[in-house]
Amino acid sequence: MLVQQARRGDLEAYDELIRRYQERIYATVYHMTANHEDANDLAQESFIKAYQALKSFKGGSSFYTWLYRIAVNKTINFLKQRKNRIHLSLNDLDFNTEHNPDLVALISEKTPHREVNLAELQEKLNAALLKLSEPHRLVVVLHDVQGMSHDEIAKIMECNIGTVRSRLFYARQQLQALLADYLK
Amino acid sequence: MNENEDNFESLRRLMVLKQHETPPPGYFNNFSGQVLRRIRAGENVESATLLERLFGPLSGIAKLLKALDAKPVFASGFAGALCLLLLFGIVSAERPDLTPQPMLQADATTTSLAALSPTALSPSASQMGIVSSTNPVLNLQAVASNFGQQIPLAQPVSFKIPNF
Repeated sequence: MLVQQARRGDLEAYDELIRRYQERIYATVYHMTANHEDANDLAQESFIKAYQALKSFKGGSSFYTWLYRIAVNKTINFLKQRKNRIHLSLNDLDFNTEHNPDLVALISEKTPHREVNLAELQEKLNAALLKLSEPHRLVVVLHDVQGMSHDEIAKIMECNIGTVRSRLFYARQQLQALLADYLK
Repeated sequence: MNENEDNFESLRRLMVLKQHETPPPGYFNNFSGQVLRRIRAGENVESATLLERLFGPLSGIAKLLKALDAKPVFASGFAGALCLLLLFGIVSAERPDLTPQPMLQADATTTSLAALSPTALSPSASQMGIVSSTNPVLNLQAVASNFGQQIPLAQPVSFKIPNF
């Protein structure tokens, strides 16, 4: 309904659609770029492009999947251009981080080589993610960070589920190797 | 696959950290507003480019219209100036005693066009045989050139008209 209204140029309806998906789109782009400013620009541009292309949206997939596809393609194109000038601009960790049982366990267990704090761990994790290729990083972000199913990811990436699973496995292996010092 | 999941358990716990990376507080309050502003701005640019496409050679007019659209104060000032110009035009047109003034003040010797002769002009001009007049009847006399020769201004030509 909102999509139909937005297609007719109703900006209030589109405003509602933006509010509905802004956090997820921003988060995906942010985790792919590890840079808040870039994520802000790319997320905004994705919504603008989606609005301009709304007339060509046939409804073959859900609006959500279609929007994600726009954001992901935009981000991957941007990352290809940015290849050699990586600049981290990480968001702060929220107040709940220190109370998360998984993270508390991870820090209290201390790695055999060194003690770590959350900020350092955050930086190392982002640096390791940036070493993955874009498709592998995207699968990890969508599955392990955003909690999407293999099926949803396959639709967004326009590939089959087997490809998603194999990419996820390979990406995790690489991350594990890169972060060996920080994993038990 | 479950075995693989178990192998990556510590990695999965570490990835949870990413979920706690959040943008500055209040960031999403303005997000949709910014997107909509950019969409509206883009639509304005599109309509302006359409105008430029239609009136390609008159891009100055398109720019002026764009400026008027962007600044209402400028638009009202421009409208006021146009009104003043229109009023001035009406008042000027209705004044009966308004006669065109000569561009140059002529002295008594040159007021009559009939009396216009090369000698009445400035010496250098007359010597060069340069005259300027709307009178078709000129006293065509030979003038002296800078080299002491008499240069006739016009030579009589006789045409024979053939009989058909």
